[in-house]
Amino acid sequence: MNSLAHYARLWLAGARYSIVRTMMFRADFIMWSLVELFWMGVNLLLIAVVYRHTDSIAGWGPWEMTIIVGTSMLVQRLLMGFFWTNLFEMGRNVRTGHFDFFMAQPGSPLFMVSTRKIDLDGFLNAPLALAVVVYAAHQLGLHPTLGQMALYAVFVLCGLAVHYATLLILVSLVFWMQSAKGLEGGYFGVNEFSRLPREALRGVKAVIFVYALPVIVVTNVPANTLLHGGRLEPSLWLIGVAIFWLTVAVIVFNRGLRRYSSASS
Amino acid sequence: MLAVLQKYRSIFVIGLQSNLVYRWNFAVRAGFSLVHLTFVFALWGAAFAGETGIGGFDLRQTLTYFVVILVLQFFISAMNEDYEVSEEIRNGLINQFLLKPINYYLYRFSLFLSARFVSGMLALVPVVLILPFLADKLVLPPFGWNYLLAIPALLMSALIQFTIAYCFGLLTFWFLEIQSFIILSLAVETVLGGHVFPLDLLPRWLYDFSTYLPYYYQMYFPAALLTGRITDQAAALRGLGIQLFWVGALLLAAQALWNRGLRRHTAVGG
Repeated sequence: MNSLAHYARLWLAGARYSIVRTMMFRADFIMWSLVELFWMGVNLLLIAVVYRHTDSIAGWGPWEMTIIVGTSMLVQRLLMGFFWTNLFEMGRNVRTGHFDFFMAQPGSPLFMVSTRKIDLDGFLNAPLALAVVVYAAHQLGLHPTLGQMALYAVFVLCGLAVHYATLLILVSLVFWMQSAKGLEGGYFGVNEFSRLPREALRGVKAVIFVYALPVIVVTNVPANTLLHGGRLEPSLWLIGVAIFWLTVAVIVFNRGLRRYSSASS
Repeated sequence: MLAVLQKYRSIFVIGLQSNLVYRWNFAVRAGFSLVHLTFVFALWGAAFAGETGIGGFDLRQTLTYFVVILVLQFFISAMNEDYEVSEEIRNGLINQFLLKPINYYLYRFSLFLSARFVSGMLALVPVVLILPFLADKLVLPPFGWNYLLAIPALLMSALIQFTIAYCFGLLTFWFLEIQSFIILSLAVETVLGGHVFPLDLLPRWLYDFSTYLPYYYQMYFPAALLTGRITDQAAALRGLGIQLFWVGALLLAAQALWNRGLRRHTAVGG
């Protein structure tokens, strides 16, 4: 319990530092918020344009599809808010030796590396992504129960865990490689599939993006929970996938940490 | 004149050598583009299910459009040029160009051409490898005037792409951090350049409006000529005219930014 309070205090100290720093560069904060907002708009525009010319994508109507895309954006914004900058900087810090700083912090290196900073612009747009989901649900005339909404929230957190784990594994490769630069491009490429309904993929594509890399499950399970109520099998699948990928990520990070020998003089 | 050409040819050759050092970065980037292409095939394949055509084009024509866009990106898109210009200004590396008989725009453009030559050739490798699997999913229009007009359109697209990136890089004379400007511009370009969907699927009034913006000529215009999405020759010629206007306007803007920026620039050190 004491340990939990200790980590909560550490996280709050980091969050306070991030907020103060963001307020020092307000114009930059506004620009980045606009950038994220615009990218969310791009995703929604694609749906709007495609559905101008067709009624259904793999059996999903426009507002059902909006729930998937909104959920994908919500998970993304939370990832950006909590973890993106930290993990992105980890690659550079390992390469330059600045990673030493995190080893000397009063907490687990993984916690310190993952949570030192938060990005306010990511958080600012998360409610907007949620508003997109709520609006689409309203258009469909959905009235989800409290239980459905709670399950949706749990599944979004599972999705966040899967994305965090995937990114941590990719960035941890820097312990073995000279540079993990460019790998984030692969992350964004794969993440595009989270905006697709499961039914749009068949054959090898389904095996890769539904089972091997759970990008589709992360958004389809919460979206289906709002649309059709919670179902046991996919729910357990998503929770299992989150636990599995988090475990793999922690193992990879710890293995990498053992190889780290600092780069400073 | 020949001596001047020789100077920039040497820069091009040096650019080729330094870009070949990063061949794996380009190859990895090209590989990741295939992941994006898989997403595009899945999305549009699902959208076309039960439809004979979308916006007057069938699935094969639409997929061909996206494959052409992907390949063109590696041949004519600006990738890191804005950051490189920005870094050279911030670190004071441009000082050396102020003292030498080298035009900074042409210097950077020569390096851009060499970088795109290397990235374009490397991007062709995975495309050629997967071509046997894609052949029955793609279709190009028969040879005609559209291919001939696509040549100047592609050259001007490269000029527009580079000059916009160059202008963003020059903003470093005024702003310490330009990354957010670049990403915002990239988002606009992604939509209005036709990367996300073919622009002809937009409502008519919005499509007509987009034809007056430079973004339309960055990628969509040459891709639409090559894939037969522009079938009216008069419209294509009019497009070339507007594209030429944007090339001129952007070159003037770049020169104005350079002149104004240099007035603010302070060169320190020996």
